[in-house]
Amino acid sequence: MADWYKCPVCRKLSLEHQDLARHYLGQTDKKHKDWLKSKNLSYSHLITMQVTEFGNKGYDALAKVLEKEAAVVQVDVK
Amino acid sequence: METKYSVIGKPTGNVDGMAKTTGEGKYTFDMYLPNMLYGKHVRSPYPHAKIISIDASEALKLPGVKAVITGKDVPGGKWGLWRRFRELCDQIALADDKVRFIGEPVAAVAATTKDIAAKAVELVKVEYEILPGVFDPLEAIKDDAPLIHEDFENNINATRHIEWGNVDEGFKQADYVREDKFTLFPQAVVSMEVHNSLASYDKGTGKLTIWSSTQSPYYLQLGLADALKMREGDIRVIKPHVGGGYGGKNSTMPDATTAALLSMKTGRPVKVVFNREEEFTTTEHRMGLHLAIKIGLKKDGTILARECKIITDGGAYTGLGATALYLAGIFQTFPYKIPNWRYDAFRTYTNKVWATSVRGFGAVPTVYAAEVQLDRAAKEMGIDPLAIRRKNLMEPGYEAPGQYKVESCGIVPCVDKMAERIKEKWPKLEKDEGIGYAGFAYMSGGIFNWIDTPYAYSGARVQVNIDGSVDLFTQAADIGQGHNTVAVMICAEELGIGIEDIRLHPGDTATAPVDLGAWGSRETLMNGNAIKMAAGQVKQKLVDLARAKLGENIAYDLVCREKRIYLELRPERGYSYYEMVEAAIKLNDGEPLIGTGHYTPHNKGMISPAYGMGIMAMKAKVDRETGLVEAKDVLIVHDCGQVINPLGARGQVEGSVHMGLGYALTEEMPNDNGLVLNPSINDYKIIRQRDMPQIELLDVPTYDPSGPFGAKEAAEATISPTAPALANAVFDACGAEFDSNCLKPERVLKAIREAEKNQKNKAKAKK
Repeated sequence: MADWYKCPVCRKLSLEHQDLARHYLGQTDKKHKDWLKSKNLSYSHLITMQVTEFGNKGYDALAKVLEKEAAVVQVDVK
Repeated sequence: METKYSVIGKPTGNVDGMAKTTGEGKYTFDMYLPNMLYGKHVRSPYPHAKIISIDASEALKLPGVKAVITGKDVPGGKWGLWRRFRELCDQIALADDKVRFIGEPVAAVAATTKDIAAKAVELVKVEYEILPGVFDPLEAIKDDAPLIHEDFENNINATRHIEWGNVDEGFKQADYVREDKFTLFPQAVVSMEVHNSLASYDKGTGKLTIWSSTQSPYYLQLGLADALKMREGDIRVIKPHVGGGYGGKNSTMPDATTAALLSMKTGRPVKVVFNREEEFTTTEHRMGLHLAIKIGLKKDGTILARECKIITDGGAYTGLGATALYLAGIFQTFPYKIPNWRYDAFRTYTNKVWATSVRGFGAVPTVYAAEVQLDRAAKEMGIDPLAIRRKNLMEPGYEAPGQYKVESCGIVPCVDKMAERIKEKWPKLEKDEGIGYAGFAYMSGGIFNWIDTPYAYSGARVQVNIDGSVDLFTQAADIGQGHNTVAVMICAEELGIGIEDIRLHPGDTATAPVDLGAWGSRETLMNGNAIKMAAGQVKQKLVDLARAKLGENIAYDLVCREKRIYLELRPERGYSYYEMVEAAIKLNDGEPLIGTGHYTPHNKGMISPAYGMGIMAMKAKVDRETGLVEAKDVLIVHDCGQVINPLGARGQVEGSVHMGLGYALTEEMPNDNGLVLNPSINDYKIIRQRDMPQIELLDVPTYDPSGPFGAKEAAEATISPTAPALANAVFDACGAEFDSNCLKPERVLKAIREAEKNQKNKAKAKK
């Protein structure tokens, strides 16, 4: 069994919060964007950070929020 | 050179060359049908606006006007090439709620003459409510930017993140790290033949036939099926000769949908031909983008890590832009070993005509940045630019985790050959001359299946008739690159006959097996394999028959060569090809001999089964007074596997250098709030023949197990290195650095002044 982190909006599961953040910023629909707004985060700001600065700053900023918000799901990887 | 082949590897003129050069060969542009009408679009003058109303009553009163259609007349829905992800199928035949770029079609007329159609277009009254537009990707993603497609928040159309190794650790361990930023401009396609289609709908049978200047009859068939709400099989697409595509004719475009819709409405054949201004302003082009790139190296020049970020100006629709986004990252890693790599890419919608796959398919802007940055790093580190490349080259079997594996790989011998040849060729440079290098690699067809085809990637059928003549059927598209010739050469080689024995039936969806079309340099490898398989089936029948008649030891091998089937080690023992064909058909109850072949890549990674690669050097001269750059001489050492047609391969390389040089020196698409400012051949400067440098092309032959007879791509790889090799030559000559392509004199002069200032500052600092 392993701990997976669940996207607060859809069914996506990731083993790392940063990977979940990557998934999140790759989504173009309103539901994902609305959840960000509800957390006082700006999609535009996160993307701009990610694409104009080196490193994973945009993903890391969102990952920190997801550490608190993403539900943990135990999945048997076998 | 000694060769075991009779047909391939020999310089061969195009099989359709005579027809094309005498004017006998027909392009869609040349075609007319009885009772044919001419279609013309009513286009939006605004980049972003709601359509309030369309009044066609005055146009319909004009004598000769037979129909006017609007978005309400379109029976089908949206379409696109990303059929695996339907939300990215965003193209529409005629805008029905709002327009998203200047020139978007909102209505179309059919009339008895072109002039009447043009007059009628002016009589169609369209009322718009103008919406705010957005024209730059960094503006488009802002939270308060106008939405171009309501379902795509922040105008993000597609994203990519690819990472392998430990990038941050790689940078930590690097002795040298540098960061650079670039803005790369879009490039128009400028095919000699404009987009044009002729449609004929049979109201009795409900079936449509369309002749079109397309890169893929199959993709057009799928696009039309979605747009017209018809079965694919009820649409017959015929691709006559095509005067160039370069990526701009993969999408189903309004020339085809409108010709079809108007023909369905009027019951008469309808032809739609874009003019050159429509080509520049309303058809697809190479993407513009903002790019940031970082590299980390060891003291000895070994690359430890690279990171690249791009945000692209996607325009109003998707096309193949989402694929270009992926390939822009992937091909930036070639032909080097990069142990730690991170790539972030975002494609935005903007209120411009959209960007797609253009020759080099994503690779051209990102390779520019990577190769230019490598030279800057080499200079600062005091390493020779060719040596730094040699240090990091891929080798056979190299794998990029989770992405690709390189089987045949001649890049090391290519660079070694370059190093030798360069000493002889350019032993001494004149004042203000410099040499620039750039490595390159490119796919031999893409593995990604965004179109979601259930068919094999390429198919072919061979029929051998009683007289030994062969009919070869395939949908593979010759769009000017010479694939018709390659196709018959492969078929002839496999059967051991001459190309004069083969009649090719290409590009007709009603008669030939599916092929995905001419993009990503896929036809030689993918269609070549399908043809080889089809011909191989017939060959096997002939060999079996000859073996039985000869009664030889079963371990002895027979070959088909020079129109004979014989024992390989006893050439005198065998039969004529024609004799065997006749006997085989009689044994086959009188049926002609049929072979079918197909090809779909398996276990070849995510990108391509094989990669052509090599190294380019360019000698250029800079005029420090005027800023004019002259590309004087090009040397290319190229591994494209077994060359099928050396004449065709050379033509492709020259064509790639030509298009790459335009990207390097003169071609850009300045835009003012969605308006393309140079929409004519006169204002949009493509490179003229007299400005082309001399090109020396040296081959490093390899054999790729995935390719027919070991062949790989030769059509696109050499576009990507052209612009960076030129920029690096200018950098070598005078130290000028550029943060964009298109080195027009004013940009060069500015960069020279900057370089001079930096040199003075450095000298001062030393004192």
